[in-house]
Formats: sequence, structure tokens, C-alpha cells
Amino acid sequence: MNLLARFRSWLKSIVKGQRLESEMETEVRFHIESYAADLVRKGLSQEKAMRQARIEFGGIESHKDAMRASLGVRWWGELGSDMRYGLRLLRKNPGFTAVAILTLALGVGANTAIFSIVNAVLVRSLPFRDPDRLVRIFFNNPGVGLRDVPFSVPELEDLRNRAGVFEDVSAVGGGSVNLTGAEQPERLEFVVTHPNYFSMLGETPQIGRLFGPQDFALGFAPAAVISDSLWRRSYGADPNVLGRSVRLDNDPYTIIGVLPPGFRHPGPTISGNVEVFLTAGFSADPAPNPPARSTRFMPAAIGRLKPGITLEQAQARLTAMAIQIRHDFATDYPAQAQWTIEIQPLQEALVGNVRPMLLVLLGAVILIAFIVSLNIANLLLARASGRQQEMAVRLALGATRERMIRQMLTESMLLSVIGGVAGVMTAVGTLGFILRFVPSNIPRLSEVRIDWVVLAFALLISILTGLVFGLAPALHSAKVAFSSAIREGGRASGYSIKTGRLRDVLIVSELAFAVMLMVGAGLLLRTLRDLLQENPGFNPTHVVTANVWLPIPNNPKADPYIGILYKTAFNRELLRRMEAIPGIELAATTSDLPTTNLSVNDAQAIDALAIEDRPVESSLDLRAERIRISPDYFKVMQAPLARGRFFTEGDEDGKQPVAIIDETTARKYWATRDPLGRRVRFGQDPTKPWMTIVGIVKDIKSDGLDIDGVPHIYVSTYQSPNRELTVVLRTSLPAAVLNPQIRHEIQSIDPGLPVFNVASMNDVIDRSLASRRFSADLVGGFAGLALLLASIGIYGLLAYMVGQRSREIGIRMALGARRGDVLRLFLHKGVVLAGIGIVAGVVFSALTASMMASLLYGVHPHDPAVFLLVPLLLLAVAVLASYLPAQRATKVDPMLALREA
Amino acid sequence: MGKQIDLLQGTLDMLILKAVSLGPLHGYGVLLRIQQISGEQLEIQQGSLYPALYRLEHQGWIASEWGESDNKRKAKFYSLTATGRRQLHSETEKWNRMASLIASILRTTSEQI
Repeated sequence: MNLLARFRSWLKSIVKGQRLESEMETEVRFHIESYAADLVRKGLSQEKAMRQARIEFGGIESHKDAMRASLGVRWWGELGSDMRYGLRLLRKNPGFTAVAILTLALGVGANTAIFSIVNAVLVRSLPFRDPDRLVRIFFNNPGVGLRDVPFSVPELEDLRNRAGVFEDVSAVGGGSVNLTGAEQPERLEFVVTHPNYFSMLGETPQIGRLFGPQDFALGFAPAAVISDSLWRRSYGADPNVLGRSVRLDNDPYTIIGVLPPGFRHPGPTISGNVEVFLTAGFSADPAPNPPARSTRFMPAAIGRLKPGITLEQAQARLTAMAIQIRHDFATDYPAQAQWTIEIQPLQEALVGNVRPMLLVLLGAVILIAFIVSLNIANLLLARASGRQQEMAVRLALGATRERMIRQMLTESMLLSVIGGVAGVMTAVGTLGFILRFVPSNIPRLSEVRIDWVVLAFALLISILTGLVFGLAPALHSAKVAFSSAIREGGRASGYSIKTGRLRDVLIVSELAFAVMLMVGAGLLLRTLRDLLQENPGFNPTHVVTANVWLPIPNNPKADPYIGILYKTAFNRELLRRMEAIPGIELAATTSDLPTTNLSVNDAQAIDALAIEDRPVESSLDLRAERIRISPDYFKVMQAPLARGRFFTEGDEDGKQPVAIIDETTARKYWATRDPLGRRVRFGQDPTKPWMTIVGIVKDIKSDGLDIDGVPHIYVSTYQSPNRELTVVLRTSLPAAVLNPQIRHEIQSIDPGLPVFNVASMNDVIDRSLASRRFSADLVGGFAGLALLLASIGIYGLLAYMVGQRSREIGIRMALGARRGDVLRLFLHKGVVLAGIGIVAGVVFSALTASMMASLLYGVHPHDPAVFLLVPLLLLAVAVLASYLPAQRATKVDPMLALREA
Repeated sequence: MGKQIDLLQGTLDMLILKAVSLGPLHGYGVLLRIQQISGEQLEIQQGSLYPALYRLEHQGWIASEWGESDNKRKAKFYSLTATGRRQLHSETEKWNRMASLIASILRTTSEQI
């Protein structure tokens, strides 16, 4: 057999379907007319001849159909006619169609949108050369429970020269920097690395060049690379920007290159947007010098593994090296710290902390897709039962079962494709809008887009939902129609047991999925509610905050704020001017505003502590977060004093050094003794003076509402000054009103100081919960949708049952059943189904809830309140959804129902 | 005109191949030629000719081409292809074998068993 010829002829007829039809028509007409002409020649009249010819030819349409079948195009044509028929059905039931397509669009759209985020953040490789070989290097002290501690220059040299597993290693530091010389002084985020940073990543510049060996310097090199966004914002994308000079914290730098728009620093950042890249050798000012092994100040490092070395091999080699180093330099590595080196794939280190949240969101949308498709399956099944007669007639007329399943599947696939396209369009149209609500602390958000992988996922979800909701009714209709629908005549039979069972299963699974979603949402919402009600330890209402950043020039001579005196003078002048603004009652400064972080590596902000009369060796265990405040800080924040006193203006340089501790610190380090009057100091330098503890304050949730147990020690900013200043103002004026005045007053002291993040304290706290709020709101919304769909499902099922069984109800009532009995019959059905679904859902939730543990705070994954409230709520909704149709059942008029039978 | 014989199942394809093997024909021509060479004894339902023609073309045994009929009208002409010729040959052989086999079976008398 000539397969090729067949395929060609098939393809030709598909592609040229229209021509095929006209050719068939021409050929048939030619035949009939030629025959008629012959008949005329034999003596028939023209009219009679045509008639005769038509009769002898036979049914033209059925022959044409056979001709199409000969070409193998009938399957295609059938698909077309099934689709046309399906479309007609959809048009005929606009209510059903609207509900189905709307819910599908919602389900597929939500899946597409969430998956596009998951794909960009978790799935897609980092946009660098050979990203699999890039690792983040951590130094840990597991013996004292510290992870990600800083490291020193000699330790970095060990990684480079001794480990033998890295092709390249670069330290990564960074923070805020003041950009001056532009119209307004700006605060930017910068990163400082070794010169090999960009070549290690495999990055190329948009214009100019990136760092290379020629930029090596002991301290900061005078070259700067800027981001595309800074280039466009501050330099109007001017290509002549190369060679221009900028002042960063008063130091001059020359711009040598501009990064491409897509580049993002692959490490933790404050704002998510690093705009200036500097390079340094970390061995001269402002770094401590000369480099010593125990002078650990570099916050992080990334490296590229040599080709062919696996992560495990490298880790084993580094662990062995750490043990060797500890042995070689015993004095620099206290034995109890158990200092060690850990590597992690860079991508994992970058996105690891948002993975649980994104996976929970993905799980939630997939559950929604299930629920949507179960719901549509139910609607379709109800419709299929109504179509039993149609199916029976088709069977009787010779349709095969396979042919009928194909037709039903075509119809549901049509629905799922329309819904899927609508869903993808919804996602494309709303992605930008959705991304605005995604908390910006999620890395790689700028890489989110709808690409082929996302489209493939959307297609998969559409097809899967289509199969789920299409297969059940398709198989069912073929089976049922086979039985006795025709015999049962014009009125559909009673509630068929087979359909009934299938529909029950669908409803029960739908409810179970809804329970899982609602439990998840309940846990997240409870966490959020608890956090919102959490006492932060101060009164955030009527507090406005603003950030100021005193520059740290590399050259001490360029530093106008060197030494305590200048900083104290600035601080006092700042507060004097703030309090002079009308409407401001009291002003203070702090180095750490509660629930925010100005530093990239938060864990490292906790300083080593020494306590008088405690053995020095244990000093690694003694740690507290140091917060530098001005005297009125606690009064502005309305944070209560437990004992002792607050700082005063007199607690300044030259006077007795003082400290205030919080209750956590008191409990942790002076469990049995009175801490007041005891002396502490930060660091291990024995020449530093001791600070006397003069007060104890109640705990303030300084590191975030969901972080407990960090000991804090407050010191007077006049004795231990700092450059990261947050101004806190007690005022009843809104932040927006104060913003220009605050800016004006600060810049009248120093026009080069940027003022940023002017906001009310309540907004600051709110922002710190953005990521929790986002996931709680989203999962909560999905849970609400699931509840709605589940109740529609129950309602639809019972309403349908009531309709189907009205004859039976009539007979029952005629035989003496009371309305209450009928009501109970249907309520019972609804409640039993709901009960089974709820129990199954609770069991599944209990099994899976612990996966969410890392997203919860103060709420146990098996929180009894949630596990009790969700079933009760769902049960109540189920009863209500069953009550309405059950009520209708009692209204059945026995006479009417019987007569109709 | 004698009594007409109904076409045996499956033989229409063979007759069409034979008819077009004698020269290209349009559909109506195929019908006329079969009737002519069968001495008007075969009854073919006219319409059923076309699905068979399409099937044979789909299988690559005949090819079609639009041309002009005797009365100057547009008509589709079918002609035998090389594979069609082979097919006709093997079909003919099969038919002859079958026919002689059936004939010999039908000739069998009781003494021969």
C-alpha cells in the first residue's frame, strides 16, 4: 500500500477542503447531466430525464459522505461537526457556559500567573554563565549556634589558594551609599566585590567595561560600574557617561561601564535593586588593616566551582580544610565554636527563603484548578443525564460508543480550550497588576514573564482539567445511553444510581479539596491576625520616621563626621530642628528602627558581648544586638521602662558609659541576679571601657513582629555614635505633610544628605508583613472561592436530585410522608456528603499542614481552632446549600407530580 | 436486454481498474464502459461508483486529472497508475484462481468424494 500517496491525498483534502467539496459537486453534476442527456437521446423529455438520472444515481449526500470517508477525511469532518455541535450547545446554555468558562478562566489564570512567578524565581536557572557551578559560601559556628558569620581576608585567601575546588572566589559586601552631585542627593544601594566578580558570573557590559585585574587595589578602586536603571534615571541613558565622575559618600569614582538592563546582583539586597558596583581588595582603609585572621568583617562570598567538581566533593574538601585550619590557627578559632565552611548552590541560597511561600501558593492554585474542574464535571454530568435520550437515539441510529465518547470529549475539550485561552489572557492581562502586590523582598521578580514554559504549563492545566471534567460525563453517557433511556420514554428516569454515585464522589472530593484550602488559609490568616494584634512593645500610632545616612568616605580627611563630637553635634542639631517643626512633640534617633533592616546580613548585626566577672572563653556565646539611640527614643516610641532609668542628655562622651537592656537580655544573662549596676562591653578588646547597666525596658519587637528572643542592648548614641540614623517623631501629622519639612530641615544642616523612607510607623510595620499578607490574602481568596464553588456544587446536586425525583416525592407524599420527612431526606443526603468530604479533607489537611510550618508564627500547624472552625463553617454552608433545594422538594404538589407521571 | 446480475461484493474495484486500464475515463465513462463490456448485464448503482473511485485514487492505484469531455464540458478523468496496473494484475490472478477453485468445487459430484 502506498502510505505516502494516502497521506498526501488526505492532507490535500484537509487543506483544500473547500475545493474538494466543489470538485465533488462538479463531478456528480457532470455524471447526472451526461446520463440525463443520454436519456433525452433515447426519447425522454428533459425534465423526466433529469428526474430519472437523479433517482438512479441515488442519495447524492450519502454518496458524497462515502467519498469523504474514502479519503479518510470523515474523522476530520466529524471533529468539525462535533465542535460545531458543541459550540451550538454552549451557545444554547449561556448560563452554564458563562459559569464554566468564567471559573475555568479563573482557575487557569490563577495557575498561569502564580506559575509564572514560581518559574522565574525557583525554576529558571540564574541568568549567568554555567549557573550550576556558582555557589554561595557560608562560614558557620555551629558550636555556638551561629550561621553565616563574617570572615577575614586570610580566610578568603584560603578559599582561593588552599581549597582547590574553586575557579574563582569573590567577597561580596554592600549597603547604602549617598550619591551627591545630582539634583537631589540620593541614597543608593551598592555592592562591593573583588575585581573578578563580573567575570566569574560571565557578565558583559552594555557600554564601557566591567572590572578586571587592572582595577585591583588594596582599598576601594576609583572605578564604578552602574546599573541600567541608574544610567537611565540620572544620566538620561547618555553614552558619554563613561569617564564621568560621581561622588559616593564624598569619595570620587569614575564610571567605567553600564550593566545590561537584566542584570541583578545574585545575593541578598536591602531594596532589591543594587545600582552601584564597586571593587576593593578589602586590605586598606576603610577596611581594617593590616589583614588579620581574626578580623572578620567581610559579610559574604560567592564562588565558582572548578569544572567537573560536584557540590558534594567540594563540600567534603572544604569541611576537611576547615578542620585543618582550626588546627593550624588554634588561637583564632575557639574550639567550642566548631567553625566550618558550607557551600550552597547560588540559586538555592538566593531564593531558598521564599520557596515555602511560593510552593504553598502553587499548591493552593492547583487545588483551585481541581475544584474548578470537579465543579464543571458536576455541571456537565447533570447535563449529560438530561441528554440521555439524545444519546440513546444516537446509539439506536447506529453511532458507536467510541464515537459518542469522542463527541462528549470534544465538547468538554472545547470548553477547556476556551477556558484555558481565557485564563491565559486573564493572566497576561493582569500579571503586571498582580506583581504590584507581590512583596518586593522576593528575589528575581523582574524576571517574571509569560514564556513558553509558562504557556506549556497553562496548556497542561487546561488539558488536565478538561480531561477530569470531560472524561467522567463522557464515559457515563456512553454507558447510560446503552441502557434503557429510550424505553423510559419522554420523562427522564429517577435519580440513576450510577450517575448518582459518580456525582457523589465528585462532590465529596470537591469538598475535601475545599477543606484543605480553607485550613491552609485559616492557618495563614490566623498567623497574620496574631501578628497584627501582637504587642510590638511600643505605640506605633502617631509616629513618623525618616532615614538619614551619614556618608563613610574611604578617605578619613573627606569625612566631615569623623569622631564622636561631630556626630553628636549633628545628632543634637538634627533633633533640635525636628522638634522646632510645628506639630512635632518629641524627636529621637535610633540605629535600628523596629521591623526594618538597613543591613543586608541581619544575622551578623548581633555583636559579641563581654560581661564583667564572666570567663572570657565563653564570650562567643554572649551576644546581643546593639541599638544606638538618643535619650528620648523610648519616650517617642512610648515603650515602657521596667526598672532603672532612661538615657539623659548627660550620657555623653567623657561621662560614665551606660547601657539599657531589655527583659530578654536580663532573663538570658542575669537569670538569678539583678542586672542593674552590672557592667558589659561589646567586642573582645580588653582596653574598651565597661558600660554600666542603668535601666531595663520591656521587650520591643525590634527585628520583626515574628522574631522573638533576640537580646538587645541599647547604648547612648552620644557615647557610641552611628551613621545609619532613623529619625522617629511623635506627631499627629501625617508623614506626607511632614516629608518636605523634614527634608528641608535636614538638608539645611548638610545639603549633601539624602532623606529617604519618610513614612508613618504603622506603614513601616505594615510593610514588614507584606509577604505574609500577600500569601494569606491570596490563599484566603482562593479558599473563599473554593467555599463558593463547593456550595454551588452541593446546591446543584440536590436541586437536580429534587427535580429528578419529584415523581417519587409525589408518591411518597401521597402515601402519607410529611413535609418534614421529605425535607429531612434531602438535608440528610447533603449533610452526609458534606460530612464525608469534610472528614476526608480534615485528614488530608492534618497530613499536609506541617509542610506549611515555616510560614506560620505562633500558630501550630494543627491549630485546633482552625481545624474546628473550618469544618463547622463548611458544614453550615453545606446545610444551607442543601436546605434550599430540600425546601423546594417539600413544595412538590403530589397530585401534579403523579398526574405528570 | 437480459436479466441483470447484481455486482459481487468487492468486485467493483477490480472492474473499475479494468475499465480505466483501457484508457483514461471520466466517472460516467467508467460506468458506460463497464456496462458495455459486460453486455449490459451488470447492475451498478451509479452513485456508489464515486466512493470507489475516490478510494482507489486515495490508495494510489488510479490518478485523476481535470480535462474536457466529448461534449466540451469540464470533467475529471481517471487513469491507471503503475501500482494500479500491478494491483489489477494480482487481483485478476487471484480472481481466476478463486473462480476455478469455486467452479471445481461446484462441479464435484457424489462419486468423486
